[in-house]
Order: sequence, then structure tokens, then C-alpha cells
Amino acid sequence: MTIGRQLRAFSRKPHNVILAVLAVLLVFLTLFPLISLIRDTVLVHPSEVMSVRGAKIGDITNFHWRKIFLDGETSLNIFYRPFWNTIMTSLWSCVVSLLLGGSVAWLITRSDLKWKSFISTTFILPYIMPSWTLAMAWRNFFRNRLIGGAQGLFTAITGIETANWFAYGVFPIIVVQGLHYAPFAYILIGGILRNMDANLEEAAVILKTSRIKIFCRITLPIVMPAVLSTFLLVFSSCMSAFAVPAFLGMPVRFQVLTTQLYRTLNGLNPGYGYIMALVMIVIGTGILMFQQWFVGKRRSFTTVTGKSSNISLVHLKNLRLPISIILLVLVAVVAILPLISFTIESFIMAPGDYSLKNFTLQFWAGAGREDIGGGEPGILRNQFIYLGLWNSIRLSVVVAVISGTVGALAGYAIVRRRGSKLSAFVNNLAFFPYLMPSMAFGAVYLSMFARPVLFIPALYGSFALLVLVGSVKYLPFASRSGMNAMLQLSNEIEEAALIVGIPWWKRMLRIIFPIQKASFLSGYLLPFISCMRELSLFVLLIVPSTRILTTMLFQYNEKGWNQYANAINLMIILIVLLFNGVINKLTGASIDKGIGG
Amino acid sequence: MKKILVLLAIGVLLAGCQKSGDTAKGGAGAEKVLTHDELVSAAKEEGRVVVYSITSRISSASEAFEKLYGIKVEYSNLKDGELIEKVTKEVGGRIDGADFVISQDSGRVYGQLIATNYLVNYVPESLKSVIPAQYQDPLIFQLINKVFIFNSEKTDQPVIKNVWEVTEPKWKGLVQFKDPNTEGVNMNFLTMLTSPEWSGKLEKAYENLYGKKLVLTTKNAGYEWIKAFFGNGLVLGNSDTTISENIGVKGQPATTMGLFVYSKTRFDAGKNLALTAMTELEPFSGFMYPAFLHLTANARHPNAAKLFIEYLMTAEGFAPWAKDVGAYSPNPSVKINDGDHPVSFWETRLVPEDPQFIFENRADVEEFVNNIAYKK
Repeated sequence: MTIGRQLRAFSRKPHNVILAVLAVLLVFLTLFPLISLIRDTVLVHPSEVMSVRGAKIGDITNFHWRKIFLDGETSLNIFYRPFWNTIMTSLWSCVVSLLLGGSVAWLITRSDLKWKSFISTTFILPYIMPSWTLAMAWRNFFRNRLIGGAQGLFTAITGIETANWFAYGVFPIIVVQGLHYAPFAYILIGGILRNMDANLEEAAVILKTSRIKIFCRITLPIVMPAVLSTFLLVFSSCMSAFAVPAFLGMPVRFQVLTTQLYRTLNGLNPGYGYIMALVMIVIGTGILMFQQWFVGKRRSFTTVTGKSSNISLVHLKNLRLPISIILLVLVAVVAILPLISFTIESFIMAPGDYSLKNFTLQFWAGAGREDIGGGEPGILRNQFIYLGLWNSIRLSVVVAVISGTVGALAGYAIVRRRGSKLSAFVNNLAFFPYLMPSMAFGAVYLSMFARPVLFIPALYGSFALLVLVGSVKYLPFASRSGMNAMLQLSNEIEEAALIVGIPWWKRMLRIIFPIQKASFLSGYLLPFISCMRELSLFVLLIVPSTRILTTMLFQYNEKGWNQYANAINLMIILIVLLFNGVINKLTGASIDKGIGG
Repeated sequence: MKKILVLLAIGVLLAGCQKSGDTAKGGAGAEKVLTHDELVSAAKEEGRVVVYSITSRISSASEAFEKLYGIKVEYSNLKDGELIEKVTKEVGGRIDGADFVISQDSGRVYGQLIATNYLVNYVPESLKSVIPAQYQDPLIFQLINKVFIFNSEKTDQPVIKNVWEVTEPKWKGLVQFKDPNTEGVNMNFLTMLTSPEWSGKLEKAYENLYGKKLVLTTKNAGYEWIKAFFGNGLVLGNSDTTISENIGVKGQPATTMGLFVYSKTRFDAGKNLALTAMTELEPFSGFMYPAFLHLTANARHPNAAKLFIEYLMTAEGFAPWAKDVGAYSPNPSVKINDGDHPVSFWETRLVPEDPQFIFENRADVEEFVNNIAYKK
């Protein structure tokens, strides 16, 4: 065959074309920034003329590398301690979320738990809400006078002054992050459990295998890939989480890499920050390679075969009621109590005073008052809130459409060419943005697109830049759910259509997509919701005309205008819940049906 | 405040070192002088102006300006470091952004924005003879002070007389200060304490209080005080507002105090807080720093920006700031608030900013502070 014919044969297959286009695009959008990031670790940045003696902006220097790794006490404080803190909090958060999310997933799909649909829906809420929701709620409840000055709700009600270790630092960070990502574990593991071929388990039941043995020898091995990818995703998320450690760690000066990153990128030494970002990427990539090696050992985990599956549920017997009640209380505390606390906090005038006469509508509907929040009107009367709201929704929708579609196509193409080098390459590239800490990703895009690149004009300050960074950053969600959907879909289904001569687009629209509809749609939902509650990715790229709700919330919070922040947070949560609910009603897809559902 | 004059010298010096001084076209500053009416009509033609500001009250000023001239204002309130980074990126990358900025953190503003010609000084024609010369280059928008303030629910009398007292066990965990990493001016203050002048004063204050010589474990008395200050369970906040509430809230078991923006004492009545400032501490009661007004080198709406700058420097434009204590316009016709003290009163009691000293020494102090503050 000549090269020309080879090429023609190659391009006749749609998935080849998709892969080739994606490979080029993603190199430009992910590898390029990485190179730019590496370059940034050895440059003297404008804000560093103070610290790098005698250097000019743009000089090459080893100053940052030396300070970060080899400067004794300074390195220990800038890098090694925060690094250790990051690893530790991320690992423990993973443990918490996997244990909790995994158990709930098993209980919902395999046992006769009571109130399943309520628990299932409510359990997801913390994940749909912004990551700092629980952190903010934790602070609303447990802040102590020692550091917060004003007492929290808990102290106001019980009179018990919370200890520092309980109110701030490692402990609440692990709990809060663990709770926040538990739904994620639930979604991934629950999705596999729900979809896996129940015949295996049924067969074991018929053979009178004990439930425990079934769990250990059949269920667990089948969900192992999901557990592993949950671990990977949660670990990466925790590692690059910024808001939670910022809310809960700062008061006791507990530092992790991201808070250091924020400090240095916004301070005098962005070079330090870029190195830390690089370290995080290296760790993330290492985990990814491990996971690939692990999954690679077992060629496939096809779970949807078109056969019916209907498994008999495990009877919890005496434990049924207690477990159901415990779960019910847990989801209520985690999902509903925060909302109540935001509501209360947004209505009180003086912090820490929860008596009725201290309640006010000022922060919702009041006109500006000079002595409060610099004359800012209540959020329902604030034109900037509406601008931010509009921008947030617009951004999330556009990002969801782009990354959802690209992700679905990527998932399709990657799976169809599974085993080829090109497929693995695109797969890794499409997942790569996930490993980039959001803030570093934002910073890199900022430096990269602040001036014209190739045919692209300078994008800084434009809405397009936010769309671009968001779409690339959330592509992993979409491509993963696309891949999961495709992996579960037996090849024969499409092949049958192929034999009958149905064109590619029709196969996609009429067969593949409908079968795994919920799964693909979650590839749209996840980016939408992530985008709606994203802070650190956009915080460096926002200009006044493109401001979004989350960056406004963070600004209010930083200024200590707690009531506005609580009110906006409540607003974000309600919008996200509303959208999730509407999409669920209209399409049947929902975050809790989740990946593979 | 005379020291501010020295700044220009460094500015020029740094500009000389700057290999790529080409980024700024100096456009806005170089045009011919317009009369006020010409400026107004030119500004109206532009129709719009974008401002970044370190003070939140720009919102009220913008509203008033919009009403007065019908020119649309897009304002944003940023943290000092954030503002400097944004302007660097925008002007450096020749991207449309702010037309003018209200910035603070003199060391960085000089080194990063003025020396690079990213910011252009503009003094409105009508104000050249009104505003004292030492406030004109760069044009100072206001002076801001941060003062030791205590919870005065139990007593009106100052709870300390000497800054060394806050390092005593008695005050362990009861003193709050804004995290110097979140706002540059706080780090500038700490940097200034390590200067020969202020470390000398601190050394003397120590002897006056304890009747013995200070034993140094660090470079000088400034570093020593910082170490003891942070070492005494200092609580770092990330907002002056929160700190003022934390300190001022009534019904606390122990008297607390903080070093934060003096203007927050205005919350006293509205939020039912008990806050009283201490103005007679030895050797300083706090610190004072300038906020600057500048055009950006690539301003898209230079005339509207100039008009807004002129407006902000008048009593009318300064009104949102003037109604409270703790904000001082260099324009003598802007009256000091009832119950506040004039700048001359504060000058002898507060640590000023010396941009040159800060530029040269802040990195060292920052590293020192980080090493003692983040030992966890």
C-alpha cells in the first residue's frame, strides 16, 4: 500500500480523524503550557526584582530552584512542610471519601436500605456544591474566639468553646475534603456496581457462595478500576484544592502547596509557585502512569453487555433501620445543615450574635450603608451580582457544551482505537489537564495568552479565554465519562450497525449515544457544575467585565464581608441544584446517576 | 513623608537598568494640556473609564462620577499585590485593562510599575498649585494609617504604653494583625522596623521599659521585635474588617487588641463594637502608607481617566473616604473628619514607608517572617 492509500484508509475511519485532530489541539493546549510553565521556573519575573539581587526581568536564574530545594530552613518552610501537609491531607481525604462513598454505593445498589432515593440524592449534594461550602459551614459552626474572634453557631448554642485543632487545620481539612469527595467515590463506584453484569454475582449466589466471599472475590475486583480511578481523581483534586485549606488552614498558618502557590504567585516570588505547580504535576503524572499500568494488566472491563441484570438485594436485617437512620442523619448534617448556616449567617448583623433582634435583611435587599461593606448594596439589589450571575451561567453552559462534546468524541475514538499508540497519547493528553493544579493552570494560560500566540490574538481579559481554559480543564471529566460509557458498550452493537451500512454520525446519534445517554450527559453535567463552582482556575484571569459569582464570593470573603459571602454562596448552590434538577427532569441524567449510570 | 521624594530617584535608576523600557509608550502623559471643559468633552466622547483600586469605596465614588458626567465607570476593587500583578500583565502584554489605578505598596509599585513606565504620573492642571509638592510625584491619593486598637468595653484607658508589651505572655494569643503576605503594606511596615532608624528606636524603647539592654538573637532590634511579636501567638487575619470585628465584638472574656486600619473604628456604632485606638505608644503607635493615583501607559480612555483623577482629588470626589476617620487627602481643602487627627499628628507617631529601603530589604524580611510565622 502506498502512503497515500494508507492515509486515505486511515482517514476513512472517523475515530482516526478525531484522534488526529485532538492530538494536535491538545499538544497546543496542554503541552505548550507545560513548557511555558517549566520556562517560568527559571525566569526572573517582574515582581522578583526585589528578591533576585541585581537581576533584570526576563533573566535566567537558578534562584527559585535553589531556594525551594536547597536553602535549609527556608526550603523547609516554603516547600518541604507544605509538601508533606499536602500529601498527608490528600491521602487521608481519599481514605475518608473512598470508605464513605464506597459503603454508601454498596448500600444503595446492593442492600435493602431504606429511603434510598432520598439518601442517594442528598448524599450527592456536597459534591455539587462548591468545595468550600463545607469548609465555610465548618467555620460558621465551629469557629472559636481564639482565632475567629466571634463565636460560631456551635459555641453559641452549646456554650462549648471548640479547640483549635478541631476548628482549624489538618483535622477539619481532611474531614471536609473527605466529605466533599465522598459523593464522587459514590458516583464512580456506584455507577459500576449498578451497571455491572449481575449474572456473575447471581451465579455465585446460586452456588451458595457467602456474601462476603462474593464481595471480596467478585464485586471488589470488578469495581477495583473504579476505586483506583476514584483514588486517583480524589487525590489529584485534594492535592490541587485551594479553597478548603485556605478557609480552614490559614487561621492557624497551616500551609499546603496550593496555598503556598497562591501566596507566591500573588506575592514576590511567582517562580517558587511555578516550581510547586511542576512538582504537583509530576506527582499527578506518576499516579496516572501507575493507574495505566494497573488497568493495562487487565485488558478490558466491559460491564454492559445488553443482557438483563437484576440482582437480589442483601438483607441488612436488624441493622437495616439503624444503618438507614445513621445515613439519613449523616446526609442531613452534611448536605442540609450548611445551607441553614449560610442562610442564618447572611441575615445577621453583628457576627457571633444569633439573637433574633440581630437579624437583618440588609445583606440581601438593603440599600448600601457606608458603615457596612463599604456601601455595597444587598446582593439582590447589586447590579454586579447580576453581571456575575449572567457570566457564571453563560460560561458554564459554553464550557459544558464544548468539553462535553469533545469529551464524548474523544472517549469514543480512544476506546475504538484502544491499544494503539495514538489512542494512548490522546488519552493521556486529554487527562493531563486534570493533573494541573487549577491555579497553576490559570496562571500558565494567563502568561501564555497574554500576548498573541501563532494565529490567536491576545486573549487576556476576554470571555473566550475563560471558555478555553475551562473547556480544556474539564475535558478529563467528559472524556473519562465518554470512555467509561464506551468501555461498557460491547463492540458488537456498533459493528452490527456498521454491517448494515449505517453512516457514522447516525450510529453515534441513534445507537451509541442513546444507549449510554445518562453517561454521556454526565459528561456535560460534570463540566457545567464544576465550572459553576470553580474559583481557583479563573481567579487570575478575571477582569471586571468577566467577573463570575465565585470570584466575587471569594473577594467578599477576603474582605471579611461574611454575610455577603454567605448569601452569594447560597445563591450559587441553589442555582447549581436547580440546574441539576431541571436537567434531571428533562433528560434523566443527573450527577448521581453518574458516570456509567 | 519627605522620603517619598527619594523615590523618584530610584525610579529613574531602575528605569535605567531596565533593558526593555520600550513597553510603555507614555501616551497618556505626553499629550497637550487641555482645559477643564475640553477635558470634559473629550472624556464624554470616550464615554467610559476603567479603574482598579485598592480601596472598596471606589464604588461610591464611581457612582457619583457616573451621575455627574454620564461617563460609565467600570471599577474593581483588588488587593494590592493582585493589582500590581494585573497591571504588569496588562500593560506589559499591551492588553486593554485599567485606564487608571489607585495602588499601594510603595516598594513594589516603584520597582515594578513606575520604574518600568507602566504607570504614568498625572497631576491635574487645576490642582498643581493646590496640592503640596511632596505629594505630586507620584500623585498621592490618600494617606492611610494602621494603629494599635484595643477592645475598650472594659476600659477606655490605653492597655499598653510600649510596643514591647505586646510580646509579653500577658498578651499571648490576644493580638491580631493582617497576614503580611496578603497585603504588602503590612510587610513594608515590618521591613521598616529593621531599618537603622526604627531598630534603634525599638532598642531604646526596650531599655526604657525593662531597664536593661536588649540581647540580640537576630540582626537588630527590629528583627528581634518581629520575632517576639509573631512568637507570642500572634493571630494573623486576612481582612482588616474581620480583625476589627474580632477585636471589637463585645462580651469577650479577655481584652484583645490588633494593629489594623484606623478607619475601622467607624464601625463602632453601626456594628456595636468597642474599639479605641492607642496613639501614644513608644516608639510608634502603628504605621502610615500612601495610596497612589496613576494613569496606565496604555490607557484606552485617558481623558475620562484624567477627569476622574481630577474629580477624586477634589473634596467632592473624596467624599466617600472623607466621611470617616483614617483617610487623609493631600488636598488641603478636604477637611479632616471630626474627632480625627491631622497628618502632622500621625507623622510623629507612626512608621512611614521608605520605598527605597523597602525595595532593597523587603525580600529578606519576608523570608525572615515566613520562617518564623509558618513553622508548622
